Amino acid sequence: MDFLRYFAAETTSAEGDIFSALGIDWRLLILQIIAFIILVVLLGKFVYPWLMKSVDDRQAKIEEASKAAEAAKEAAEKNQVEVEKLLSRARKEAAEIVNTAKTESSEMLSTSEKKAKDTAEQIITNAHSQIEKDVEHARKQLHNDTIELIALATEKVVAKTHDNKADNKLITAALKEVQ
Amino acid sequence: MAKKLSRRILAKYVADQLVKKDGHALVLQQLAAYLIENKRTDEALLIVRDIEHELMNRGVVIARITSSHSLSDELQKSIADFTKKQTGAKTVVTELGVDKSVLGGFRLDLPGKQIDRTIANQLMTLRTKFKKV
Repeated sequence: MDFLRYFAAETTSAEGDIFSALGIDWRLLILQIIAFIILVVLLGKFVYPWLMKSVDDRQAKIEEASKAAEAAKEAAEKNQVEVEKLLSRARKEAAEIVNTAKTESSEMLSTSEKKAKDTAEQIITNAHSQIEKDVEHARKQLHNDTIELIALATEKVVAKTHDNKADNKLITAALKEVQ
Repeated sequence: MAKKLSRRILAKYVADQLVKKDGHALVLQQLAAYLIENKRTDEALLIVRDIEHELMNRGVVIARITSSHSLSDELQKSIADFTKKQTGAKTVVTELGVDKSVLGGFRLDLPGKQIDRTIANQLMTLRTKFKKV
């Protein structure tokens, strides 16, 4: 750089033209332009392609990521729809299961009630039948006891009141009856 | 040892002798002796029954009358006449028995037949006929 300043100072003092009036050293300017061009060339040769490639790669990655995100979003939306469908189906099936369970429980309850009712009616019928049998048995027993009582009373009364005269009449009547 | 005589033969013999009306006591003694000698006294009642049957076949009926009191001659005659009609017998021999348990009426036992018109029998009929099982 010291060399360039020195060369510029020499050139400025020697020329003394408009550039000098403006404070511009044209040599230095040319050197700077050349350096700039070299820099641009070097950048264009080595840095820019790498940079562009890097940017392109980055952009590609971003686009890929974006596409992936989009696909994931679509997949998520699709999954969401599937999940909604599954949930809906599950809710429907659950509702059917609940309805079926309710129906079955209702039928079971109805069946149990009917069975209990039938059993109760059977018990009542049996009880009525047993009561009728007991009453009939008691009637028979009363009838037989009454007959026995009548026979015993008749025996006692006849033994005390039936005299010879009455017995003779009875025998005479019996003879007429059997003849 | 003498041959064992059957009850029927014995009954026929005794009945014949009884119908002849001579030696009643003798034939009965002979029968008793025979039964004792042959150790057949336990058949006495059966033989008496057979004799009664044989007598009935010969027109003589033994009628046992059972009542709760002693019957008059008139009633006994009525029963004897009734017996003649029932059996067709020429002679009826009545035996009267008194049994208070019959309560009233009479029971007539003939060979192979019984006519029970007692109050006790009627009460028994009442008990058995009208009882419900």
